[in-house]
Amino acid sequence: MARLIRTEKEVEGRYEEVWVVVEEDPLEQWPEGPLTVVGRPAPRKSGFERVRGEARYTADIRLPGMLQAAILRSPHAHARVKRIDLAPALALPGVRAALGPGEAHGLEEEAGFSGAPVAAVAADTFRQALAAAAAIDVEWEELDVVLDPDEAVRREQFTADPRHYERGDVDKALAQADVVVEATYRTQTVLHNSMETHQAICEWAGDVLNVYISTQFIWGIRESVAETLELPQDKVRVVCEYMGGGFGSKNSPDEYTYVAAELAKRTGRPVRCALTRREEHTAAGNRNATIQRLRAGARSDGTIVALDGEFTNAVGWSGWNASTEGPMKMLYDCENVRTVTFGAKVNTPPMKAFRAPGFVEGTFGLECLVDELAAKLDMDPLELRRRNYATTNDGTPLSSKNLEDCYRLAEPHWERRHEVRSRSDAIWKRGVGMASQIWYGGGGPPSYAWVRIGSDGRATVITAMQDIGTGTRTAMAQIAAEELRLPLDRVDVVLGDSARGPYASISAGSSTLPSMGPAVRAAAADAREQVEDIAEQRGMPKDAPVEEVVDLLEDAQILGKGARGPNPAGMSVLTFGVHVVEVAVDVETGEVVVERVAAIHDVGRIVNPLGASSQVEGGIIQGIGHTLSEERLLDPETGRVLTSTLESYRMPTIADVPEILCEFVDKPDTQLTNLGSKGLGEPPIVPIAAAIANAIRDATGADVHELPISREEMLRALREAEARQKEKRGAPAAV
Amino acid sequence: MELLRPSDLAELAMPSDGGTFVHGGTEVVPLLRDGLLSAETLVDVRGVVPRGIDGGTIGAGTTLAELEVEPAIPDALREACRLAASPQLRNMGSLGGNLLQATRCWYWRLDYPCRLRGGDRCHAREGEHREHAILANDFCASAHPSDVAAALVALGARLRTNRRELPVEELYRLPDEADRRTTTLEDGELILEVELPEVEASIYLKAMDRKRWSFPQAGVAAARVGGETRIALAGVAPVPWRIDSVEALDAATPLPRTEWKLPLARALVRRALAAIS
Amino acid sequence: MSEVRLTVNGEDHVVEAGLGTSLASVLRDRLGLTGTKIACNEGHCGACTVQIDGVPHLSCITLVHAVEGEVTTIEGLRDHPLVEAFVRTDAVQCGFCTPGQVVSAAALVAANPEPTREEIRHAMAGNICRCGTYPKIEEAILTWQG
Repeated sequence: MARLIRTEKEVEGRYEEVWVVVEEDPLEQWPEGPLTVVGRPAPRKSGFERVRGEARYTADIRLPGMLQAAILRSPHAHARVKRIDLAPALALPGVRAALGPGEAHGLEEEAGFSGAPVAAVAADTFRQALAAAAAIDVEWEELDVVLDPDEAVRREQFTADPRHYERGDVDKALAQADVVVEATYRTQTVLHNSMETHQAICEWAGDVLNVYISTQFIWGIRESVAETLELPQDKVRVVCEYMGGGFGSKNSPDEYTYVAAELAKRTGRPVRCALTRREEHTAAGNRNATIQRLRAGARSDGTIVALDGEFTNAVGWSGWNASTEGPMKMLYDCENVRTVTFGAKVNTPPMKAFRAPGFVEGTFGLECLVDELAAKLDMDPLELRRRNYATTNDGTPLSSKNLEDCYRLAEPHWERRHEVRSRSDAIWKRGVGMASQIWYGGGGPPSYAWVRIGSDGRATVITAMQDIGTGTRTAMAQIAAEELRLPLDRVDVVLGDSARGPYASISAGSSTLPSMGPAVRAAAADAREQVEDIAEQRGMPKDAPVEEVVDLLEDAQILGKGARGPNPAGMSVLTFGVHVVEVAVDVETGEVVVERVAAIHDVGRIVNPLGASSQVEGGIIQGIGHTLSEERLLDPETGRVLTSTLESYRMPTIADVPEILCEFVDKPDTQLTNLGSKGLGEPPIVPIAAAIANAIRDATGADVHELPISREEMLRALREAEARQKEKRGAPAAV
Repeated sequence: MELLRPSDLAELAMPSDGGTFVHGGTEVVPLLRDGLLSAETLVDVRGVVPRGIDGGTIGAGTTLAELEVEPAIPDALREACRLAASPQLRNMGSLGGNLLQATRCWYWRLDYPCRLRGGDRCHAREGEHREHAILANDFCASAHPSDVAAALVALGARLRTNRRELPVEELYRLPDEADRRTTTLEDGELILEVELPEVEASIYLKAMDRKRWSFPQAGVAAARVGGETRIALAGVAPVPWRIDSVEALDAATPLPRTEWKLPLARALVRRALAAIS
Repeated sequence: MSEVRLTVNGEDHVVEAGLGTSLASVLRDRLGLTGTKIACNEGHCGACTVQIDGVPHLSCITLVHAVEGEVTTIEGLRDHPLVEAFVRTDAVQCGFCTPGQVVSAAALVAANPEPTREEIRHAMAGNICRCGTYPKIEEAILTWQG
């Protein structure tokens, strides 16, 4: 029976209460450990299509008569259009239509950052569209510009009200603490840089708008586009069969989709609007910079008694105030915690969710601070973390937590530090550091799937979800195969089209597997029960092979359906982990080399160990870029992005990859759904920066306080450590 | 636009309307596309410029990829080629073209009206300059990106063009108020060959912010040639920069955010000298 | 517009294209060979890598009129053992950079059938993968012969 329930839904650490209809979710979880298909390594469904270049991405779609759009963007960090003349653009060859501010959602008169979309053009070729956009005549009124987030906070210029949190009495606890450490950490702005840029093709087919889009959320696009264009939702069809990466930046339609839709309407032809790489570096979102002013107090036995943090997120012109304070509130069992988080509204490109937004930045600050505390207490950093182990989420029970298992599995890696340090020489200093990971990743309802079995004994999972490159098709096929007792190669997955399947979850917030997996299992179970009924009627054993049971069906099909059940009421569903990192630092040139990373994660049941290890490696490598080499730089005068290319914005290459060891606790979360799996997309990028910084401290005694740890920051920290040493040596002996 | 493909030097005539030579195209094609370079005529010089190695003479059309595996050339040049750019760019880019690449200064690449473009200010000096020059940076703080140029300067190599012969060092000039160019190459002048002297020992050390596919934060080439020790640096001045000793770096004038390059350059120079002594 | 003769994956083509047109856009938009991806369109990322006479080139900054030699794209390498190796080792995540990775890798193993890790890292450093699939790509190339 369908049940209407009120449930808490979490995406990227943001909660909302929603009504959902769920069906009974009576399936017992499978036993712990590898099963027949689930828990066994499986190469990717659609792997061959992707590797051979046959997979059709949004970028590869060519519709007959398709026009190309280009967007005119503000050259000013803050300005208003006083006058705009589209006529010069319309007069150019190949130009079919042009839009000014207000003529498509996202094109606005007030530009709040250099690169803000203002106008757009459709032409026969992209080159013509670019030339036409450049020909648009705009008279600007320049407005007051604020680029510095601290200045924005002083002016109380916020994207949302500051967020205050306090438990206990932090001032009193700090006053009574045996040891207090204090530091300011800064993290830089980094870019998602999906290999496929943000893009959409819009095509009107009668009164239906077909939207082909590179997205992480088919149904969110459908809903937003329908709402903005005042269309019934079922008049918007959203298609995304393959997409070239998102990392949090492709959750919403944004200006390029609306520009394509409006230009398509005006011209009666399909219109593609694809951002260039340089637009991607400007206007497609970013992980915002942060400033974190932190304090921690502890008793001499290592009990952390106070944590205090002031966090400033340099959000940009728009975006949301991510939970940079989250780790400080959630990671340790500390009675007195106080945080304030400012979302500074500055005239810089807007942030978008980027793989564990807030927690990546906040974990860098907190986990470095904890190591500075350990140093001051003269205590082993692992021991300090164990001593302050949290068993609830600020009083709310946890559905499961196996961080202690992670710590235990980390021990052999942590023990290597003596040997690693001993391999230091006069130039290369080596050391080992660790950091813990906490994040969400429980997913939630609603999400639905269908399973179809034909008389050939093959099953198809149908759901209108997207596979953003995380191996979703494979995991869904594994779950269905396990439930149906079919070999994996007899199960296909059809996804990527809102017109061809039921509602499915967003692929963000590490939610795809925990949201969709249980729905797929429920649908497969529904189909299996029907197969069992038929088996019984045919006088066959209940567990007879599916293909033998259904072989007389001819054109008849077995159809199963399943829904994602609710999350456990009154519980927090969180993911945990720990990284142990070995680094080498050239103390003369400031070069930092990450040599080895051991990553241990607790994300419930692992469905595909092969795909899971790829996720972990990918998160760590992206995190190494964030930690060492990536930074979006702006011209301090104009607010324009200077690192506009993939030569100046430096992401890791294959040559930058350390040895990565990947381990999982792999215990199903017994409270969570029929699957017991949590998400893994984000956890691996959360602790890596702090673990690297802590390894650098172990190797050199230098405290790095800024990301990226460029040679500049490394050499600064080394100089500071040297000065500290000299001061110590020069100080008069204690009497 | 027109594409000419001369097959020998006799056919090579630079059109009067300011055409552009193109070889591998790795620099010219993106600059043309971004409007940073305009030309009515492209002259594909691959049929004209020699390619390959003959004793101490290297055809300027030899690719960096060919040079990086060439045992017969000095270590500094081979290593500079090996650590330059990306594999595909090394496959495409020629030795001569590499010497003529423009700065990676983001202001220049984004078409700011800076001094190199005839303007009256250096945007990097007052703005974002953390990858910029620490030497001779008063007029223009751009940093020269060519690893290979630094290596050839240190090696004391000479160039033969279709008009003259000159030391590689003299290919470069610091831009000034009167003349904003960074090379001495005249219109229609084409680098044909690089001539290397006998080299006793040489090395190229390069600091990057990732292990591959990065322009030099600082690159140091050092060579012993005819009993003389020669040092040249990439990434620290608007042109490849020659110094006599590590002490010469005391004269550096780093900007606030390029101070870090000074200890880096010193360390690399000391290491390079130690390696060839 | 002027005529270009191209040999792509063993087939001859005659295409009309404006001077300044890139090889990548001719492959994708004129010949329908969309396996070659464009991710930066300025020679920085390697997604558009094709072979010209067996040597990896960046097709997005190669002028189609200046192509000398036979072009091999991912479509011409679909039966290469590397394809199976990439799938087997999970050397593909979102997959957008993957065709370019295979094209570079195919040139590497043709010249050096048993490359070391260091040789792989040197030869593949011009193919950026934002998903961070690199360890698996390395494994695929190390084990490409099965």
